[in-house]
Amino acid sequence: MSALRFLWGVARTPRGAVSAAVLVLVILCALFAPWLAPYDYAIQNLPGANTSPNAAHWMGTDEFGRDLMSRIIHGARTSLSVAITAIGISVVAGMTLGAMAGYFGGIFDRVVTAVVDLTWSFPEILIALLLIAIIGTGTESIIIAIAIAYLAQFTRLTRAQVMALRSETYVEATVNLGAGHAHVIFRHLLPNAITPVIVAGMLATGDAIILEATLGFFGLGAQPPTPSWGAMMSSGTAQIFIAPWIILFPGAAIAVTVIAINLFGDALIDALDIRNRLREV
Amino acid sequence: MKIFARRLLAGALLSSTFLMSGFAAVAQDVTMVLPAREVGAPTYDPIRGTKLNVATTLIYDRMMLQDADQSFHGQLATEWSVTEDGMEWVFKLRPGVSFHDGEPFNAATIAWWIPKFAGTENAFMTEAIASVEIIDDLTVKFTMKNPDPNLLSNMATTFMGVPSPKAYDAMGDGYGVTGAVGTGPFKLESFTVGQETVLVRNDAYTSGSALSENKGPAHIARLTFREIADDSTAFLELKTGGVDMLLSVPADFRTTMEAEAGLTVVTMPGRELFYMPINTTVAPFDDIKVRQAAALAVNQPEILANLYGGIGAVADTFLTAALLEGKVKDELRISYDPDRAKALLDEAGWVAAADGTRSKDGTPMTVKLWTQNGTEFRRITEVIQAQLAAVGITAEITVLDPASINDEYKKMTEHQLAVRSYSYENADILDWFFSAERLGYPNVSMWTDAVAEELRIKAMTGSRTWDERVVNFTAYHEYVLTQFVFAPIYQPVQSYAFTTDALMVPEVIRSTRVQSQTFLDIMVK
Repeated sequence: MSALRFLWGVARTPRGAVSAAVLVLVILCALFAPWLAPYDYAIQNLPGANTSPNAAHWMGTDEFGRDLMSRIIHGARTSLSVAITAIGISVVAGMTLGAMAGYFGGIFDRVVTAVVDLTWSFPEILIALLLIAIIGTGTESIIIAIAIAYLAQFTRLTRAQVMALRSETYVEATVNLGAGHAHVIFRHLLPNAITPVIVAGMLATGDAIILEATLGFFGLGAQPPTPSWGAMMSSGTAQIFIAPWIILFPGAAIAVTVIAINLFGDALIDALDIRNRLREV
Repeated sequence: MKIFARRLLAGALLSSTFLMSGFAAVAQDVTMVLPAREVGAPTYDPIRGTKLNVATTLIYDRMMLQDADQSFHGQLATEWSVTEDGMEWVFKLRPGVSFHDGEPFNAATIAWWIPKFAGTENAFMTEAIASVEIIDDLTVKFTMKNPDPNLLSNMATTFMGVPSPKAYDAMGDGYGVTGAVGTGPFKLESFTVGQETVLVRNDAYTSGSALSENKGPAHIARLTFREIADDSTAFLELKTGGVDMLLSVPADFRTTMEAEAGLTVVTMPGRELFYMPINTTVAPFDDIKVRQAAALAVNQPEILANLYGGIGAVADTFLTAALLEGKVKDELRISYDPDRAKALLDEAGWVAAADGTRSKDGTPMTVKLWTQNGTEFRRITEVIQAQLAAVGITAEITVLDPASINDEYKKMTEHQLAVRSYSYENADILDWFFSAERLGYPNVSMWTDAVAEELRIKAMTGSRTWDERVVNFTAYHEYVLTQFVFAPIYQPVQSYAFTTDALMVPEVIRSTRVQSQTFLDIMVK
């Protein structure tokens, strides 16, 4: 309840209010796409291809005569579900690895840190492309690729938080009282380390939407006819001179969503006053 | 003062000469974009390569060239004759021809070259030749195993560019990638697979054929071919001056390009055909009724009208309309018939649910539909996906890289349907794509059939005259059509575009596509 009250407080700031409103709208689109979309996203109407925005098709139609607005609404589902699932996996796995590395130290820490530092030195897109080349294309592959691409970020962040917390008096007291490792990690360390990780996860979700769109642009993500904003932009490039709306509207959807996520994340950081803790990584 | 003025004048003259020569050199550099279909050609080895691009015709000369009217004209061969029984051919070779590495071209080259095809995927080109005899330094005689009325046609294909024996043997498996040496009007300077090929003029060239006005070195000094799979990127490059010519113009951009000042778009008869091979070995397509249903679900007129604005023609056989062997009985043509497709699926036991999807014994009718990256392929494939869905076949698309897609077929994996195209003007393309000896790739349909093999072999080796060959290939073609091992889709026209400020391209193209004979005559402004 206090978390909701806190979020409500964030949403009442001007920056938080605008970004929260946009995010709620996008999330509603993703959740209720089949009911909100005016047309079936997959039904082609070739004679009506490349129709400019009009009363029947507010955002026009694509090169197959499909309603662009319906596809963008369904595309929100693809983009958000891929980004949130991938970052969710990445956060859970990264926190687990980071907490263990930070808590136990020793060889395990050195190995985890070395691997994380290695992946940290490559751009996420490169890691994702490499993984997709190995595991193949498709939505599931993109989720795995993005999750692994962002793993280093959350591992490092959690490890730094845990290492700082480990020397706190209450943690040492708990250990001295005979508490097990799992108890210390899950009851005392992670709850206190989670806030910056969650905020970083939120910001990474925006990046993951862009990464998903990029991979979709290359045809590596959701396969046709499932709409994804990146793939829609990709097919729109061929029509850019005769039907520019095909590339403009999905591009705008990506931009607006990512800006909203970043603004809301910034508002969260300010409200939580954790900018310094995020900088630790 | 006088000395200073003289030096100044000399300096100015020198500078202007240098600048002019510099500009001339720059002006003779031309950049073109390869046709989208040729993107990803992995080699310039004409003997072993199965996918070659137009630059191959510039590195290598061929024994002869074919005009747009299908007539043959000598290039490395100046004269030829054949005995009445078709069992002996004599070719007189062009004198004074040298390879780019300085090696001479002569009868010994041909005696080395023809046997090299044995064991390669292009062996069928020379299979009918039993032996090559050197009559003199510039005369060779082919003794045939069987008459081959298609010999001249084979000799004119890109695959029969003649490489330098010395370079070919020296480079081994790397030949065609690390280097390529022919007698053609251009030398290979660099080649990055899937990206770029740079050719430089062969200044010693004198082998221009009767199909070119220019018999000597090309007017272009340096020719870069870029490989751009994305149509809009290629168009933007042409529009902004990044390239001077597109060797294929996507249908979407034809109207836009025609309206652009400074661009010329030329359309000529097509030689390409889009089709959907059906893997006959993987269920449910091991059932001919299901294959027929899939083929009849393809709405060719809809694709022609809506994706191509009515430009081009529907495909309803495996061969382009220009070929005599494509003139089959009307009832054998594969044309859109969704009601028949649905009835066939019902007969095959694939029951339609309320939402239109089909299943059999609890197994949903979901199939794999492969295509290659590139705007045109992706678009046709998505339309085919919707057309298959309309009769109850759910097709899941997988987009593969053009450079690696043939290797994937060679693995003989579980691909089921695919959207492909070929560009070729000879009925023996049937042999190439449906021979039981080439399963996986090029026989993507994985089709083995005793009757088909008998008809194929008869067509390939049992024809003494061209007319007989037409009859035999027509019979083979008709049988292929009855087995629904593919679905025909579309026959595009060919279009190319160039910047008028940079190039002058001959108005009459003396070949079935833009290749070496035209490149010799392209002028740089």
